[in-house]
Amino acid sequence: MEFHTLDGNEAVSSVAYRLSETIAIYPITPASVMGEHADDWAALGKPNLWGQVPSVVEMQSEAGAAGAMHGALQAGSLVTTFTASQGLLLMLPNLYKIAGELSPFCMHIAARSIATHALSIFCDHSDVMSARGTGFALLASGSVQEAQDMAAIGHAVTLESRVPVMHFFDGFRTSHEISKIAALSDEDLQTLVSHEGVEEHRSRRMTPDRPVVRGTSQNPDAFFQAREAINPFYQVFPEKLEAVMDRFAGITGRQYRLFDYVGHPEADRVVILMGSGAECAHETVEWLLEQGEKVGLLKVRLFRPFATERFLNALPDTVEHLAVLDRTKEPGAQGEPLLLEVSGALMEAWSRGDRKVLPRVIGGRYGLSSREFTPAMVCAIFDELKAAAPKTRFTVGVRDDVSHLSLDVDNELDIESPKTRRALFFGLGADGTVSSNKASIKILGEGTELFAQGHFVYDSKKSGATTVSHLRFGPLPIRSSYQINRAQFVAIHAPQFLERFDVLEHAAEGATVLLNVPWSKEEVWDRLSVEVQRVLVERKARLFVIDAAEVAEKAGLERRINTVMQVCFFALADILPREEAIAHIKESIRKTWGRRGPEVVRRNVEAVDSALDNLHEVPVPDKVTATRTRPPRVPENAPDFVQKVTRLLLEGQGDKLPVSAFPPDGTWPTGTSQYEKRTIALEIPIWESDLCVQCNFCAMICPHTAITSKVFEPESVKGAPEAFEVVSETQTSELEGLDYRIQVAPDDCTGCGLCVEVCPAKDRTQPKRKAINMQPIESHREVEAENLAFFRQLPDVPRDRIPRDFKSLPLLIPLFEYSGACAGCGETPYIRLLTQLVGDRLLIANATGCSSIYGGNLPTTPYTVNADGRGPTWNNSLFEDAAELGLGMRLGLDKLVGRARQLLEGFREELPHGLYPELTSACTTVDESAMASRRTAIEQLRNWLADKQTPEARELESLADELCPKSVWVIGGDGWAYDIGYGGLDHALASGQNLKLLVLDTEVYSNTGGQQSKATPMGAIAKFAAAGKATRKKDLGLLAMSYGHVYVAQIAMQSHSNHTTKALQEAESFDGPALIIAHSPCIAHGYDLVHSPAQQKRAVDSWAWPLYRFDPRRIHEGLPPLQLDSLRQKVTMKAYMQEEARFRMLELRAPQRYEQLVAAASEAATEQRELYKQLAGIHFEPHETSDADNEKGERHD
Amino acid sequence: MTELATRWLGLELRSPLVVGASPLSDDLDALKACVDAGAGAVVMHSLFEEQLVEEQMAAHRFIDSRINMDAEARSFFPESELFEMGSDSYLQRLELLRHSLGVPVIASLNGISAGGWTRHARELEAAGAHAIELNLYDLASDPEETSEALEQRQLSVVRSVAEQVSIPVSVKLSPFYSALPAFVAGIEESGARGVVLFNRFYQPDMDLDELELSREVVLSTSAELPLRLHAAAMLYGQTTLEMAVSGGVHSGDDAAKAILSGASAVQVVSAVLSEGAGALSRITREMTARLSGMGYRSLAEARGVLSMANAPNARTWERLNYARLLHGWK
Repeated sequence: MEFHTLDGNEAVSSVAYRLSETIAIYPITPASVMGEHADDWAALGKPNLWGQVPSVVEMQSEAGAAGAMHGALQAGSLVTTFTASQGLLLMLPNLYKIAGELSPFCMHIAARSIATHALSIFCDHSDVMSARGTGFALLASGSVQEAQDMAAIGHAVTLESRVPVMHFFDGFRTSHEISKIAALSDEDLQTLVSHEGVEEHRSRRMTPDRPVVRGTSQNPDAFFQAREAINPFYQVFPEKLEAVMDRFAGITGRQYRLFDYVGHPEADRVVILMGSGAECAHETVEWLLEQGEKVGLLKVRLFRPFATERFLNALPDTVEHLAVLDRTKEPGAQGEPLLLEVSGALMEAWSRGDRKVLPRVIGGRYGLSSREFTPAMVCAIFDELKAAAPKTRFTVGVRDDVSHLSLDVDNELDIESPKTRRALFFGLGADGTVSSNKASIKILGEGTELFAQGHFVYDSKKSGATTVSHLRFGPLPIRSSYQINRAQFVAIHAPQFLERFDVLEHAAEGATVLLNVPWSKEEVWDRLSVEVQRVLVERKARLFVIDAAEVAEKAGLERRINTVMQVCFFALADILPREEAIAHIKESIRKTWGRRGPEVVRRNVEAVDSALDNLHEVPVPDKVTATRTRPPRVPENAPDFVQKVTRLLLEGQGDKLPVSAFPPDGTWPTGTSQYEKRTIALEIPIWESDLCVQCNFCAMICPHTAITSKVFEPESVKGAPEAFEVVSETQTSELEGLDYRIQVAPDDCTGCGLCVEVCPAKDRTQPKRKAINMQPIESHREVEAENLAFFRQLPDVPRDRIPRDFKSLPLLIPLFEYSGACAGCGETPYIRLLTQLVGDRLLIANATGCSSIYGGNLPTTPYTVNADGRGPTWNNSLFEDAAELGLGMRLGLDKLVGRARQLLEGFREELPHGLYPELTSACTTVDESAMASRRTAIEQLRNWLADKQTPEARELESLADELCPKSVWVIGGDGWAYDIGYGGLDHALASGQNLKLLVLDTEVYSNTGGQQSKATPMGAIAKFAAAGKATRKKDLGLLAMSYGHVYVAQIAMQSHSNHTTKALQEAESFDGPALIIAHSPCIAHGYDLVHSPAQQKRAVDSWAWPLYRFDPRRIHEGLPPLQLDSLRQKVTMKAYMQEEARFRMLELRAPQRYEQLVAAASEAATEQRELYKQLAGIHFEPHETSDADNEKGERHD
Repeated sequence: MTELATRWLGLELRSPLVVGASPLSDDLDALKACVDAGAGAVVMHSLFEEQLVEEQMAAHRFIDSRINMDAEARSFFPESELFEMGSDSYLQRLELLRHSLGVPVIASLNGISAGGWTRHARELEAAGAHAIELNLYDLASDPEETSEALEQRQLSVVRSVAEQVSIPVSVKLSPFYSALPAFVAGIEESGARGVVLFNRFYQPDMDLDELELSREVVLSTSAELPLRLHAAAMLYGQTTLEMAVSGGVHSGDDAAKAILSGASAVQVVSAVLSEGAGALSRITREMTARLSGMGYRSLAEARGVLSMANAPNARTWERLNYARLLHGWK
């Protein structure tokens, strides 16, 4: 038997790939990786069990993937897919069809929460439970080993039963857990799978040689009977599954049953559940048996069809108290699905007399959105079962002070075997901690007899992210499907964690603690806070330090400290002899990076070799000597909600917050990112006022609003901090007499350097010195933080005073700040600019993707308010429906506007003189002075209404704000606009409604990791386009132009901000739909984004990204609607393409294909240019408008 | 007609005109045209170790560092894209040229580490290079390193490469050595077979509007030739190394002068870059006409006849006369 150390996704994908011919997928967390593996293997030519390379196709959505699956099945192919959550929901209609047609098919679900009050990428079973009516068999697995095995069993049984199978395992917990498992060989699979089943499936295929018709429409006379005809297949399914499981056991020695019972043969208390939680319950039951308890656990493998007989047989007759646990929530239901099945089965058996005792059954929810499920919780459930009057419905894992459903849990309980070693690592996303921990697990799993497990937790930031790795290893199999509570080894890979979290909360007695800090071993102790020192002293920990950053830097690895820390871990954890461990590490470096090139290996090996010389033990004194406590996580002036809720979320203590702390409907305050001080930059931009030319380019390009410029009345700087330098505004006549300052937000800057890159002002005697320069943060942080606080409260000058040109626009207050986007993000500056233009009158409908994660992922969110408390209001519905969401907002809003006007009309005669015209005159969102007057008028109206006692007065009072125009923008990425949401986007444009759509086009699915979209350019390598995309990028703009009534612009802000500001303002002022396609440099392009302005310019100059504006208003002026803002091709397509890894990769891999695709891309650009030139030259003759006039107002039919 | 066959680095060339190291190595069709136009051999552009290292590290920094840092995106590129960003593509190109051109293909190498020089030299040999031209592009900028130390370092590179490979090795030199003959003697002793006179450095220009440096490639002109002729003439007879002149050859007379000063081969780049392969047939035609007109039956007859050892007014090569010449202008 061969052991592999891998994660659940890879284990499952490996089986599914080998047993399939057609794989139709669509990326979705946490299942994307399965599809990516399949794509990689196909790209490498790896065959399936029948010697063919499966076709792996990425569709435009899961709905599309499901359709393709259905079709491939009808053609007689062996088909699989991988999905989760919303993706599964999109597949549902086809799943009913596939099951209804009895097509053998097995799909794999990394179970994930369905978005309700909020999106969550984490695990529960709400997705699979939504599919329980489809007619699919639902097969659950609880560990990486089981996931692999059940995948094989699922594929085998569907061929023999014709009932399609949905195999599910827990997202992240199982899908991303690395574990050492006994791998299934090709021979194992050959023996397991019924080749007759394959033959029979093929024989049912659609072929004109033996034509049939399927998918008929049936009338009341036929449908019902036909539907009932399917029953025998479900009746025999359990038996067939059992047979396959028995055959599987014969091959592998691993015996599964439909229901696996663990525990006392005469147990009186039993819990029932499925998925990874059952592994934790298994471990706990074994521990309780040792304590002499008569308890048991029933693991459900097959949820549907529910095999009642087998269930009853598996449950000991002695059971008196039963707890059924569901990892899903169905509000208002009598109980969650598993509880209902179990209760029904027991009731029936008891009423038939087949079962003497009807156990008392209680049902509980656990683990929603990957909430931890621990042995302590399992014990709490068994305790509850003992109670005279247990809660019939309960929750475990939260503290419910609203409905009082939750069980109390003793979180101190630790039942893990001392033989299992546990290690915790706090790392930064970019420092490679998780990668090297994965490598360590592989070293232990594959190089020793030990069992090993790795689980990785990420926060939701895309820059300066925190990762926590949980590693277990030891001589016993590891069932602990929960995070480590007591770690013998704790490594803190960045010093800032010491100040941010209680990093030693889970350090065990006598733990070894390893710190990476830039301090000498002599000064370390005195630099630690009271909290850290106290734990070290009280738990008698041993403390080791290393300046890993210095070691890595010396080896030429910059901040990538992972191999250095890995060596220290092995040296201190004492699992392998040191030399052996180091040899393994070097081998793993060679294996992982060898193909990248010898230099990468050499530098990593050098880092490994110098690591231990720099590792030092620091003696831990017997008492705490520090007086400094850990700084508060949010500033003292933060609002109450931030203090009470956000602070705990930031400290990693959110799960201790009770239910009552949370809004029940997903409504959260905006403007919270300002309270999360992340301090992730090593260097920040510092302003040199003497050189500054006040161009505001820095503020324009900053992806994090961490450098801003402002003009203000000179008297308002009274009381400013000493270092608060200001200069007179000198560049804009309209702003004469005001003062000017550029301010950095030191704790919010990511250090990307874009601001310095675009700064045009140089010291003529020292050209290295610009008007802003990157400086080490430590020498400026305190001063600039104080300056920032003063800067933020400076009163804004009236909005209408600031000219609407690209140089002055950054002076408007940004209402989007300090997001968690990647350093150098090319998307966020567009959003920030949009909020500067119309933020105080803006409703946003946001598609799921990067922009919804940095835009709306807790703990803090970046959309904020101005001094009047106004700012963007934001909602993310789904990935696919942002345009529809926005359209609905527009329609709903307009109705309220209409109602407000109707009510106003009723008061027309009574209103004070002049107020009615003031409230009804023309006012648009781009007319600042009209907006200001309208707001004043609304205030007057409110004051006037206050005395009126009629219901109409109250209603108008509440709707009065709608008399001021609002702007609705839809924001999303290219995955939304070009693929999954294209239908809705197209419809929104067609509707003619006043709705603006901003496409942040990164040319790949950025959020899920670089899968190709229809926006991916020709010649680029992306996931699912590993050979380089061979087709042209969809011309979304041209499609939108074809309507003739849509404003369309293609923009590129990093290099052409003047054009961008023009286009955004034209779109905003256009009374109808507008589509803005925004070039967004992204880390998925594979280059240093500090060069994005220059690289984007190449994209524009090569016509890879032409700039244009299509304004239907121009038609009525007798002008061509299309204006080409890029005319000539100034650089070659190659000059653009060769600068990005996504193209360069192809050149390295297949130089000839690269040349061909460069030539084809160049040709495509030429053709597009010629077409656009002709379009831009079109002249429409003035024409009679009678038809158009007549049809006006009927456009909604 | 003068017989143009010559020996360069022990290779029998049908013509002394060699396509020098240039971006032309990426353009197979252009090189084929050069061969059709009479090129005797082709030198590939340099395998720059520094560039390979930089690219590997950039990939490590911008691609590998973005793996396993995010819950949703495991990585941003397909896994199968993890392949060597090393010398592979250079070596493949070398093999392609060797199979396609029908004239010797000389690989050029510019290393930065001791290990890099020898490792890549072995790779080039294995890939079938007929010879290796070492590009000692090494600007002295460290005040701690003396010229002696720098020269010793360079000689040790030459020695280690010559020891590692059995194909001939030539060394492309910078014009800036205080004692060129002595250094060339050192090269000879280190095991090289020839020297190329000289490297042309891509010297940055200044962008006065932006107050920064700009990088543009400036093609050579015939005005750069005398420096090379002078060096070849001086070295001819003093060393057994074969010499090639590189830089400033734009006409048949330029090439003839190079031969007369003692060169065995003449590298041409700028003329081909600006004129295309036709430049080579033109230069061949002009050179043959000139040398034939002068009565030489073979290149060997012409080689070095105006070198310092052989020229009737050999002192003209020396600096003293330079001053007199200038005075003569008055």
